[in-house]
Amino acid sequence: MAAFVVSPLKMGPLLVLWLAVCLSGTWAVDRGNFKTCDQSAFCKRQRALKPGQSPYRALLETLELTNTKLTLQLINDNNKVRLLLELYRLQGNMTRVKINELKPLKPRFEVPDVLINDPPTEPLSLLSRDENGVVLSLGADSQRLIVSAKPFRLDIMEGREVLLSLNSRGLLAFEHLRIRKDTKVDPEGTENKEETEAANEPAEGEEVWGEKAKEDEKVEDGMWEETFKSHTDSKPNGPSSISLDFSLPGVENVYGIPEHADSLKLKATDGGDPYRLFNLDVFQYEVFNPMALYGAIPVMLSHSAQRTMGIFWLNAAETWVDISSNTAGKTVFGQMLDYVQGSSETPQTDVRWISESGIIDVFIMLGPTPADVFSQYASLTGTQAFPPLSALAYHQCRWNYNDQEDVAAVDQGFDDHDIPYDFIWLDIEHTDGKRYFTWDHHKFPQPKDMLQGLLDKRRKMVTIVDPHIKVDSSYKIHNEIRSKGFYVKSKDGGDYEGWCWPGNSGYPDFTNPEMRAWWASMFAYDQYEGSMENMYTWNDMNEPSVFNGPEVTMHKDALHGNWENRDLHNLYGLYVQRATAEGLIERSGGVERPFVLARAFFAGSQRYGAVWTGDNAAEWDHLKISIPMCLSLGLVGVSFCGADVGGFFKSPSTELLVRWYQTGAYQPFFRAHAHLDTPRREPWLFGPENTALIREAVRQRYALLPYWYQLFYHAHHSGQPVMRPLWVEYPQDTATFSMDDQFLLGRDLLVHPVTEEGARGVTAYLPGKGEVWFDVHTFQKHNGAQNLYIPVTISSIPVFQRGGSIIPRKARVRRSSSCMEHDPYTLFVALSPKRFAQGELYIDDGHTFNFDKQKQFIHRRFSFANNALSSRNLAPGSQFTTFSWVEKIVILGASKPSKATLKTPDGKESLLEFEFDASMSVLTLRKPGVNAGLDWTVVLQ
Amino acid sequence: MFPNCSLGHCHIIIAVVLWSICVDSRKIRGISLSYKRFYRERKSFLCIDGSKMIPFDQVNDDYCDCVDGSDEPGTAACPNGRFYCTNLGYRSHYIPSSRVNDGICDCCDASDEYRSQTPCQNTCRNLGQRERAEVEGQMRVLGEGLRLKQQLIEEGVLTWREKQAQLRDLQRVSDDLQTQLDDLRKEEARRKEEADALREREIGARETADNSPTSHYRPESPISVFKELDSNRDGSITVDEVQAKLSPVQDEEHALSEDEAVALLGGVHRVDLSRFEETLWTSLRTGDNVTIKGRHGVPGSLADEDPNIKAAVSAAEKAAADLKRVEDAYETVYMEIRDLREKLSIDYGSEREFLFLHNQCFQLKVHEYIYELCPFSQVTQKSASGEVVSLGKWGSWAGSPENQYCQMRYESGEPCWQGPTRNTMVMLICGTETALRSVKEPSKCQYVMELQTPVSCQPALRQRGIHSEL
Repeated sequence: MAAFVVSPLKMGPLLVLWLAVCLSGTWAVDRGNFKTCDQSAFCKRQRALKPGQSPYRALLETLELTNTKLTLQLINDNNKVRLLLELYRLQGNMTRVKINELKPLKPRFEVPDVLINDPPTEPLSLLSRDENGVVLSLGADSQRLIVSAKPFRLDIMEGREVLLSLNSRGLLAFEHLRIRKDTKVDPEGTENKEETEAANEPAEGEEVWGEKAKEDEKVEDGMWEETFKSHTDSKPNGPSSISLDFSLPGVENVYGIPEHADSLKLKATDGGDPYRLFNLDVFQYEVFNPMALYGAIPVMLSHSAQRTMGIFWLNAAETWVDISSNTAGKTVFGQMLDYVQGSSETPQTDVRWISESGIIDVFIMLGPTPADVFSQYASLTGTQAFPPLSALAYHQCRWNYNDQEDVAAVDQGFDDHDIPYDFIWLDIEHTDGKRYFTWDHHKFPQPKDMLQGLLDKRRKMVTIVDPHIKVDSSYKIHNEIRSKGFYVKSKDGGDYEGWCWPGNSGYPDFTNPEMRAWWASMFAYDQYEGSMENMYTWNDMNEPSVFNGPEVTMHKDALHGNWENRDLHNLYGLYVQRATAEGLIERSGGVERPFVLARAFFAGSQRYGAVWTGDNAAEWDHLKISIPMCLSLGLVGVSFCGADVGGFFKSPSTELLVRWYQTGAYQPFFRAHAHLDTPRREPWLFGPENTALIREAVRQRYALLPYWYQLFYHAHHSGQPVMRPLWVEYPQDTATFSMDDQFLLGRDLLVHPVTEEGARGVTAYLPGKGEVWFDVHTFQKHNGAQNLYIPVTISSIPVFQRGGSIIPRKARVRRSSSCMEHDPYTLFVALSPKRFAQGELYIDDGHTFNFDKQKQFIHRRFSFANNALSSRNLAPGSQFTTFSWVEKIVILGASKPSKATLKTPDGKESLLEFEFDASMSVLTLRKPGVNAGLDWTVVLQ
Repeated sequence: MFPNCSLGHCHIIIAVVLWSICVDSRKIRGISLSYKRFYRERKSFLCIDGSKMIPFDQVNDDYCDCVDGSDEPGTAACPNGRFYCTNLGYRSHYIPSSRVNDGICDCCDASDEYRSQTPCQNTCRNLGQRERAEVEGQMRVLGEGLRLKQQLIEEGVLTWREKQAQLRDLQRVSDDLQTQLDDLRKEEARRKEEADALREREIGARETADNSPTSHYRPESPISVFKELDSNRDGSITVDEVQAKLSPVQDEEHALSEDEAVALLGGVHRVDLSRFEETLWTSLRTGDNVTIKGRHGVPGSLADEDPNIKAAVSAAEKAAADLKRVEDAYETVYMEIRDLREKLSIDYGSEREFLFLHNQCFQLKVHEYIYELCPFSQVTQKSASGEVVSLGKWGSWAGSPENQYCQMRYESGEPCWQGPTRNTMVMLICGTETALRSVKEPSKCQYVMELQTPVSCQPALRQRGIHSEL
């Protein structure tokens, strides 16, 4: 749900007035509510700095090399402020570059809780050193790290090739903390100043530190105070922004840095605004622009046919990212560089990161393959939480299902129309006056009866729990948070308050571990009244959304303990989802896997659940953009992504709704949702033909759940994305580099949803020279490396299975995924031109951590080679028993055998009946009947 | 057809004949009696759509062979299959095959969960009893509802006739008034013309006379009137003299009472000239109440000068007043006719059974709101604070083509914020009394109400009974 607009009838008059003032324009974002780079003082200051000679110089004499890192001081020759550079070589082919002030006036914020551990290091060895710099070995592949002293820059090379350079355009800029010297200085200023100067006393006598003050005198607007619209940001710490540039020779394609409603391949930002990363509740966002949205993951991937790399800029403050192509000036290398600059035609992408505060802490993931980068990033921030199987099924949501009767009627509607679903969702109206953890007692007098009714049908519910807490002395949650001092504080030290759904609200300080522990405890069954084990949670508005705050979010000078919101803004949403997920785990005694959906996120959020693309609209462009938005998230670790099916704002045409179901059925998080003001749109409200179309799309999802589950297991296990751009699997196929109207699920399914109104055909690109693809509906075989025109009707969902793959499905689609637990599998074996295929099957109980803690799972490898299909154990250390068996094997691209023999380890052999469709070369083996967890072989003769 | 074998009702004689069939068909799970003929055990089974022949032991073997799903009536193997719940004691029905052994009890006889871990109880007997009781209850309601409906139809017929008669009456009145209006318009015009003509002449004459000192049209002074009234010339006017010389304006024949005379003299029985000027003279000047007998008009006015003019003016005024009165009456009647015609043009059902709802309103309180439905007029919502919001005005019948009278649409209510106007669908359901039963807002500003009323009872409902395999 959400967006910050409700019917005026439901809001206080003050808010209505405010909204009336705030909202102009009906169906588009009001850009005036959100800052451009020019309106964000630090971005404007930083962007005014143009590429050129860097004022920074490395003081090589300060170099220290230990087993784990290299440290070195940098000095800004203009103001004499010294920085401390730390370089780490990390296990798994990564380099970490940290730059902080050598002696900051007070500590600068370093992002906690995002890295899953202190990344293990490997020793750096010094290859050479002279007055111009040092050369360090990065171990494998003759990779070297070159530190140039004057001007300071870093180059990472492999052989004679520069992979990446830092500060090559001289855009390293580090605004050191300082004492306010303009007229508005507070009375304590003088006192502080003395302390500061004492603190800045140079350790060595060679520099006259006092001289740096000259540069400090330059005070610009917005350094110590900034006003946007009616909001003034007091900046007690003054300017503190940081910036660094990265040059990527040979690179033309960069991706990632979600969340933006933009194309998969990032665009050059020259002449426009940079991509902005600042978690915001953007009302009615527009597609194809670089404005900030609900979440921020400061990770960019670069890709060329030769190599894939990643840059992880670990900073949680407001961040802007500039991208330009082939604009870097000619670079001059030190004498020691055994390198001759290539021709000027070499493509190059230059990237510049700018953040408002904190430190520079960059992880350079050197790939070289896309899969390597995913593993490298996963080793830093963890992998996708493995969701309960049912969370991968279909979710039915609306703002709002009005009461218990409504819930029962919708639930029954699905059965009456034979459409499966697993979760029904309750938005904010289910609560008692938007007091989360409570129920509206008129509308939901017996929540447990309702939940039991769903449980009886093996279905589940999600209720919304937002992080804004109604300020109301008769509300237990508020009273406890207030009395424990857990609220975020305003700059004056009192509890920070802002307007949100319940009216005046407080915002718990989720950065505080004690607060999070308390919050988690509120999900205990005896705390959250009316909750049951089949009730899960949705955290909306966790940017956080503050209706009357600057840019509809929290004031940057609000305080989380000692830190300003400015320092950690983008991290708030992650903490909310984390505390909630921990609550769901704890309530089950650590047994059950949680499911939590959140709107705001940061690097590492993948560990806590699912995200969605927020308050989109029922427009064809929003359907289209759902693909690049989720692909971008997948590239940076967040696989469990989806868009509101049907579109949140506005009412979709029937055609759009059907197409959205067809697309959503093949995206990871599959949930229909609708705004309060829109007409009802349950799947059966659009006539029998459309009900049938939607039923078919949802059924395709359910049949494919075994494959989805396996993909999520891999995402959890190794960090490989579930939904992938084509270039991830075909990294040398330049035709795929900017493709974002189709995608892969895992390696083996290619989906090209129909996202054009009135489409009569789509052109899908089938990659892979010498490969083949099979239409999953007709089993028609197509060659790879071609653009294939596919005529479509309203029932078409173009999906292709890669020749060489084996995909398990469950053909018996039932009311909910739980009902299908023990059902048999059908294996779809798509043969490669060399008559080979491979696939997997993963099975566990579908909802507990036993797969992890007790290795209770089945993981099989299916291989087809030499006319024999076999199943063998991929995880010998694991154990799990399943009732499921193999009911059918469909071999695509097969030839007709004379007989098919099933062999089991006990030596038994039995003949299988089969059918052969010569026109499509499809061989169907009837009822092998073997248990899905056992070894077996089918031999074709 | 055949008695159900599982009940052991086979008579011995026919049991011998039917033995093999009984035994064979017992194996076939999930089919109804009428389908048993497709599943007689032979070597092979022909899919019911005729598409394929399979060995009979592949029927219900948990693998789908037939594209029509007919080989697996008792398992979940076919995506398009269906399973027959016999439900002895209750209603038999089909469920989709996907509900067989899915861990959820669907058939009340528990037959769909023969291989799942979910323990299902046979609840058919209870359900059957409950349903029979319900159906009986419904039948009673229906019977009573239909009886009431008949009454309401008859009342409706009377009301309709009444309204028609009323319309005819009003029409007649209207016609009468129309005739009167024509006459009165003429009369008024004529009178006005007369008075105007006289007045013009008089004004013309007076203008001439004003220039002559001998004119008897000079205005009268209080002294001259005093002298005229003072019959006994004693320098004062008494009650007797007032009674003798003055009369009420409206009725010259009527004499003034003593009290009236005293009142005219300012509460005394005798006045001198100066007192006269303060009391009776003022009354005479205004000419509202009293006048000097044999004179018309106010002393000093034109009419006062000329009784003819006074009479003509008065007659014109009277004619205008008469016209106004009849015009008003006509207007009223015209509006009434229009309203009545409008009401009579509404579709009150095939037998005008909904006519009685007209002019009635029904209320229901839901939490803090009071909803009011005035059929064929409007729907409103009143909040606790007293604010009334229109949820729609009568639009049309909106039921299905088969029964368009089962739903009413009220539209164009108050507009919603950022959205369309409010509207309300009223679903009409059979009941023994007429009352608003529920109000919901499934989508924002789209309301759904249930109005229970006998006139929505349909005789067709009677045919719905309980089928069972008993």
